[in-house]
Amino acid sequence: MKCDRCNKPATIHFTEVRDGKSLELHLCGECAAESGYVQQAHLTMNEMLNEFVKAKTGMSNRDALVCPDCGMKWQEFKDTGLLGCPKDYAVFSDQLRGVIENAQHGATHHTGKTPAAAVAPEDSVKLRQAELSRLKKDLTKALERESYEVAATLRDQIKTLEAALPPGR
Amino acid sequence: MNPQIQKLLGKNGEWLASTGPESAVVVSSRVRLARNLADFPFMTKAGRSQRAELHRLCREQLLSMPSPRPFFYIDMEKTDQVDRQLMVERHLISKQHASGDGSRGVAVSDDEAFSIMVNEEDHIRLQVIRSGLQLRECWREADTLDNALGQHLRYAFSDRFGFLTACPTNLGTGMRVSVMLHLPALKLTGEIEKVFVAAKDMHLAVRGLFGEGTEAIGDFYQISNQTTLGRSEEEILAEFADVILPRLIAAELSARSVLEQERPLMLDDKIGRAVGLLRNARLLSSEEALFGLSHLRLGVAMGRVANLTMPTINRIFLTTQPGHFQRTLGQPLDGDARKAARASYVRQLMTPSGG
Repeated sequence: MKCDRCNKPATIHFTEVRDGKSLELHLCGECAAESGYVQQAHLTMNEMLNEFVKAKTGMSNRDALVCPDCGMKWQEFKDTGLLGCPKDYAVFSDQLRGVIENAQHGATHHTGKTPAAAVAPEDSVKLRQAELSRLKKDLTKALERESYEVAATLRDQIKTLEAALPPGR
Repeated sequence: MNPQIQKLLGKNGEWLASTGPESAVVVSSRVRLARNLADFPFMTKAGRSQRAELHRLCREQLLSMPSPRPFFYIDMEKTDQVDRQLMVERHLISKQHASGDGSRGVAVSDDEAFSIMVNEEDHIRLQVIRSGLQLRECWREADTLDNALGQHLRYAFSDRFGFLTACPTNLGTGMRVSVMLHLPALKLTGEIEKVFVAAKDMHLAVRGLFGEGTEAIGDFYQISNQTTLGRSEEEILAEFADVILPRLIAAELSARSVLEQERPLMLDDKIGRAVGLLRNARLLSSEEALFGLSHLRLGVAMGRVANLTMPTINRIFLTTQPGHFQRTLGQPLDGDARKAARASYVRQLMTPSGG
């Protein structure tokens, strides 16, 4: 959910009741502080240094940080609330710490499920068959455009897969 | 019109079946998982060709995965505006997915119990819907589908943060648990504000009929968890299904019995007016229809309306939505002509035994 006033992720949510009518508000930390609804949290050492740099140079070094993989800038995230690639969580880890804690009400670590790693035997057959049919399609295409080297590699892959499948299929 | 979507139109779809537990108050339950592939940027930074490749990869994995029920796949770019609107109204895709652009699609099970959006805000948005209160059933199937997909797709995942999502508000489990509640009695007794305040205290989000950014129309509210990190799926579910929902359901039911005992005239007046509106209106907007249907649903749930059943109400509920209604008409109509056609259509459905 985005902040009602800007596009950053909303981290503070409340319902204001005025004259018997309720008004829902979703704000990011900064807008909430600005509007006087909440006190601005203490600045961390990092943020203080940052404010200092910003005051001296007119630019924040955090805002200038760029992800080498996807080209995402911290300022861009502040504007849209969306990251650019999985690596951003490492690149912007310092800046994101507060954002995540706010959005997740203080939580910092995952405790839920992990991606499926083990492949159940009967599923593995189905998946291999799907893979096989894809390889065969690719092979036909490779032959059509006369890419014989690609075709040879594909043929080897198909042989290996077929050998791995149970007999009679 | 897409023939697969056409096939859906004769039915109400899973979320409007009104057959699940607690369906007097809980319209539907939903579990949604957000997933991204490790080797691609998120949608904000995915270029045209990466988008297309992502779409191709996910679609291929979807079509080859072992699925608990038959499904079909729809390419959003080849789907017209009305069909997209229909899918939004049936809660199969988000408004964002309908109005977005670029290569994207959705897998939908024939019975509409699950749908899996590809290239929405995250690469994969998987949802399972059941009518009534069936959150654990939703989670079980979502988990199964997620495992089936995750066997050949490498998800973006970190030990510390869990499943990595484009927006940090979905980080961790990537799981959003939500229920569509019908709370007309709490509205009539003026206690609905208390529910909102309590919901905020419990870190819950309260939204309208079509989720994020939509208004609550006709006393239908979508309630969901706001935090996705720090607790396991089972813990999130347990709190939601065993603590929060029983309280909300009890509050609505007690408000209903208070109305029944202390203000039966007012209650029957509201219900009677709704029946009157839907049976006699000559110009009917979709919002008006929803307001009427809300009180009508209340009347049927409390056994105070004769000759009408929940499936009929749900049928009207769905088919008077703009996209569905335009499809029913077969031609686009504007303004009063459209309202008049809707009124006449609703009158027919409201007449017992079609006479």
